[in-house]
Amino acid sequence: MNHSLPSADSNAVLRPDPWYRRALGDGTTIIVVILAVLMVIFAATQSDALSAMVLTDILNNSLPLALAAAGGTLVVLTRGFDLSVAGVVSLTNVLVAVHGGSGPWGALEGAAIAMAAGALVGAINGYLVAYWNLQSIALTLATMIVCSGVTLLILDAPGGDVSDFMTYAMTDRIGHLVPVALVIAGVAYAIWRVLRRTDWGVGLYATGADETAAVLAGVKVKRVKLIAYMLAGVCYGLAGFMLTALTSTGTPNAGEPYLLLVFAAIALGGTSFSGGRGGVAGSLLGALTLTLLQKVLFSTGVSSFYTGIFQGVVMIAAVVVAVFFARVSTRGEIHA
Amino acid sequence: MTQTPLTGGRPADTRDGKTPTGFLGRLDRDLRTAIALLAISFVLIAASRVLGPNFGSFAQMKAILVISSFLMVVAFGQQMVILLGGLDLSVASMMTLGGVLAFKWIGGSDSAVLWGVPAILAITAALGACSGIGVSLVKIPPFIMTLAMGVILYGVTLGFTQGTPTGQPSAALSALFARTALGTPILYLMVLGTAAGCFMQMRTSFGRKVYALGTNPTAAYVAGLPVHRLAIATYAMSGASAGLAGILMLGYVRGVTLTLGQSYLLPSVAAVVIGGTSIVGGRGNYLGAAAGAILLTTLSTIVSSLGIAEGWRTIIYGAVIFVALVLLRDDLALLIRRSGFRSKKQP
Repeated sequence: MNHSLPSADSNAVLRPDPWYRRALGDGTTIIVVILAVLMVIFAATQSDALSAMVLTDILNNSLPLALAAAGGTLVVLTRGFDLSVAGVVSLTNVLVAVHGGSGPWGALEGAAIAMAAGALVGAINGYLVAYWNLQSIALTLATMIVCSGVTLLILDAPGGDVSDFMTYAMTDRIGHLVPVALVIAGVAYAIWRVLRRTDWGVGLYATGADETAAVLAGVKVKRVKLIAYMLAGVCYGLAGFMLTALTSTGTPNAGEPYLLLVFAAIALGGTSFSGGRGGVAGSLLGALTLTLLQKVLFSTGVSSFYTGIFQGVVMIAAVVVAVFFARVSTRGEIHA
Repeated sequence: MTQTPLTGGRPADTRDGKTPTGFLGRLDRDLRTAIALLAISFVLIAASRVLGPNFGSFAQMKAILVISSFLMVVAFGQQMVILLGGLDLSVASMMTLGGVLAFKWIGGSDSAVLWGVPAILAITAALGACSGIGVSLVKIPPFIMTLAMGVILYGVTLGFTQGTPTGQPSAALSALFARTALGTPILYLMVLGTAAGCFMQMRTSFGRKVYALGTNPTAAYVAGLPVHRLAIATYAMSGASAGLAGILMLGYVRGVTLTLGQSYLLPSVAAVVIGGTSIVGGRGNYLGAAAGAILLTTLSTIVSSLGIAEGWRTIIYGAVIFVALVLLRDDLALLIRRSGFRSKKQP
């Protein structure tokens, strides 16, 4: 909460902080700046950087990670860790590749299967964490292992039959202008904005900020957590679905790199790991930044041996800057 | 007056007027957890007898203990960090770095062990200390700091080996794993190491301060504990443990790959958590983590020798971890008592 100190004047009004102060403290601003810087470097080093094809390509490549990061954000906001993202993404990737139909209705079918599977895993996670008080990191680790086992049962080597509609239309642009990936991300974000204003959304932030206070204030913390994990599972399912469209195949361990990348994206986006601060927008942008970073490193000719170092440095730098600015912006805050 | 425990915290010690009875009930909770885990491991090994004459034997038990030494060493450092309320995701890369450096420096020459091992431990400790500085002074969340450190270290290792580690196996290190008439040396070292680790945690002032810092950082700061130095030292310890595990790995496998540490990252966290250490810090004992490491190694060894599809093996592995988590719940006892009271509750 940002408010300035009331003056001695009896007509004192509590005014929100000026916009630049609030912008500094909001983690999303940091990631937008980093993204802008990366785009500039990218445009400078690659001739066709700003062409529609390249931009669409970047958006397509970052969409699975972005959706998974959006789901992970919901759990991180409750002060939990959801490691099952890797398992669910692999599982839904394989499910859609094996059971998805053809044409637009087939794609819809695939999406429904993916989201249902994700919701199921999420419900199990959420129930056990919220109602049985198991530690989220350990439980979701176990769930991830079981999911990857189930994935291997369905498909033990890369394969599956992905319809042409998914491979081409879903990675294309609508009317040669707007990439489908951008539309999907936009719809997901819009849904989040609506959910954020519901009782659940408010309860989500309350639970993460101070769970005891939330319980005492009457927030149904257990239900909030359960719904958070379920929605996260749905997001992971969707991410796996988009991954199938992107790679046009089902791979049993497709989700493995997502485990750490998702949390990197969440951190880059300014969501606090101690809960209660941040949001989906930052994570979506964080995922885009990570994908763009890989492309920039490639286009500037950095040897692939060293990309890891740059990714790590960028992650640390982003978080340091975010923490620094968060502290700067809350200096005028009154603490109870 | 019946008090419903708040959903947020875990009811640590529910005293409802009944003192625990029996030998097992009176033991410290951490000791009980460790014994339970070792018992499950024992049962698993005994049950694996059905798989063949080589299974379920004393020799197999010793072999499993030897293999679990690496995870036990890594779990030590990981547990120290988790006690502090943090997490160390760089152990995989530290382990790989330790193995690669050992391959290069210690391999081929026995005398090199004398300066090589301390040097590698110092390097990995210093790198761990960097993570500690980032977490404690710069206030970067441990998840991110250690994740980034791990990624950076992997890149550095990849870079200077150019993809292929060079060196030679070390006879001195391999001797630790040789089966001699008196037994395998590493097993004695493991027992000594476990005892030393537990002693350090419970009896030295450093260990007690770490527990204090993990339980309540604000109170620890106000009480005047050197919070930054403690954190840096703990992360350094974690780095050094991972490095040591990498060095030992060279002795066992006689070669290194760039992915040797990868399969130890998540199991190290799992072993610590199953062993009864709370992820938010302040509670838990190395005995539990060591027992957890032994259980996980036993499980993966036995499961991988089952002649069934890899998918089912993975599911079984995950399911057993899951069951262990559920059985080791803190409030299990409370739940059992409450379910007994439910029929008497007033509407």
